[in-house]
Amino acid sequence: MRELTSPRFREIARVKLADARVQRALDESVTRLRDHRLAAWSAEPELEELRRRGHEIRMRVVDDLDGHVARFREAVEARGGTTFLARSAEEATGYVADLCRRRGARLLAKSKSMVSEEIELNEAVEAAGTRVVETDLGEYILQLAGEHPVHIVAPAIEKTREQIAELFSRVEGRRVGDSLEELTAAARRQLRETFLAADVGVSGVNFGVVDTGSICICTNEGNGRMVSTLPKVHVAVMGLERLVPSTADLAVLLRLLGRSGTGQKLTVYTSLITGPRRPGDEDGPEELHVVLLDNGRTNLLRGRYREMLACIRCGACLNVCPVYRKTGGAAYGPVYSGPMGAVLLPLLVGLEQGRDLPHASSLCGACTEACPVQIPLHELLLDLRRDLVEQGVASRLERLSFQLWSLAWSTPLGYRLSTGLARRLQALAPLAGPGRAWASGRTLPRLGRRYRDRRR
Amino acid sequence: MSLVEEFAANAAAAGFTVHRGEPPRIEGAETSTALYGLAESGSVVLSSSQEPRGRSLLPDVHVTLLDEERILPGLAELFEALGDDLPTALSIVTGPSKSADIEQKLAVGVHGPREVHVVLRPPARSG
Repeated sequence: MRELTSPRFREIARVKLADARVQRALDESVTRLRDHRLAAWSAEPELEELRRRGHEIRMRVVDDLDGHVARFREAVEARGGTTFLARSAEEATGYVADLCRRRGARLLAKSKSMVSEEIELNEAVEAAGTRVVETDLGEYILQLAGEHPVHIVAPAIEKTREQIAELFSRVEGRRVGDSLEELTAAARRQLRETFLAADVGVSGVNFGVVDTGSICICTNEGNGRMVSTLPKVHVAVMGLERLVPSTADLAVLLRLLGRSGTGQKLTVYTSLITGPRRPGDEDGPEELHVVLLDNGRTNLLRGRYREMLACIRCGACLNVCPVYRKTGGAAYGPVYSGPMGAVLLPLLVGLEQGRDLPHASSLCGACTEACPVQIPLHELLLDLRRDLVEQGVASRLERLSFQLWSLAWSTPLGYRLSTGLARRLQALAPLAGPGRAWASGRTLPRLGRRYRDRRR
Repeated sequence: MSLVEEFAANAAAAGFTVHRGEPPRIEGAETSTALYGLAESGSVVLSSSQEPRGRSLLPDVHVTLLDEERILPGLAELFEALGDDLPTALSIVTGPSKSADIEQKLAVGVHGPREVHVVLRPPARSG
């Protein structure tokens, strides 16, 4: 299985920081998304009330996750759908690959789904002999380029029009112009063929509705509707925690999702799908399969990190994070990034593997402020740092230095000696250790005389 | 502001061309009848129990007919009106298909209709 986290946060971040084009693209896109959210939030007088209710609804699901999952599965099956609870990524991909094999599927059209990235669905399905085509425009571009998404809602923000034109030209075997109109028309042409020819459509799920057994899919391009309408078989993959009890609750979460992700009141297409095609329906898939993925999520249920399960994957926290805004998504890992990724990934894959991520934060709290369902993201990051130390994952040197620091500053004499020493040795700081890491991109602050001494 | 005017303003802001009374004549356009309209977001609500889903998805130009009496304030009222008896596919459509995936610039008509129209139909006068 692909590692969900990157073991080389600093290394990748350094490359991205040095790339002026990436920095410009990142800055433009996250600023635009953030500004749109702020405008949409300030235009909604009930916003704080909605956030409070959103948090309450999602935590109600988390508090009785087993019960909600069981009732949701019953409701889906009562309407003719099939459900599968996958404990691991392998179980989930195995189910879909097997389904493709049994249906003799040659082509699978896939709309955007972070979960399918998490489980590496494409690789598993292609190994079973079914070709997979990504149909979200950004994901399609990345698939052609052989890369992975770098932002939850804007996957290809680092690609230029010229690069995209080259990728599209390769598909058509003739030159595609690099104007926005020509590129859009080419994508429409290329992907329309895919939708019409696909045997299986795979989508993600924004919310599952427990009472009605419905799945809600939000897209702006319409690919979510395409893959759930045209192929004979529709497979929806979702994290098992992405549920809301009722359609009334769905209304609250939908009002938060669009506004927080892109600043829209609603995404262009909000589809609520309840079961496969019924007698009397003129189109739609004959089979609906809903795959609910655990893959480490239920490990979060007990303890202080359970609030992370309320996340609705809007991406708002990414756009305000001073670390994400500079490093971009790739440094975090191939799937989740930004503050939500920095909290979620170490919890899913283990602290040892995700050890760099709790530090990818300035603890400024902007993420918590931007979260539509009030997850205290920066506090959870701080808690994770504490766990790193307590569980002995942090380096011995780091722990030793903090112990010495704590010891020195517990007496006035120790404090005076240590600050005096620091002032005398500050010229040496950029040469080694944390001082060197700091000084490689910034100027070290000069330590002046102590306030107390200056008054004398 | 009345629900109808609120709907018209928000639908226009979302990218619909709003008409009153008479549908426009456009070559190749397909026409749907909306189950409801949502004033808050300017959305039209389409149901698979009334017409095929492809009608509002596959053409380049899509026209939706909406009775002014079917306009609801927003999502909460929509789900209240629908109850738990949902069609196979309920599509809440808010503007033309769009994407900002290429250099963060707005492109329309990526997969779904490039051009969307909504025709508001006033209530029939009795007598």
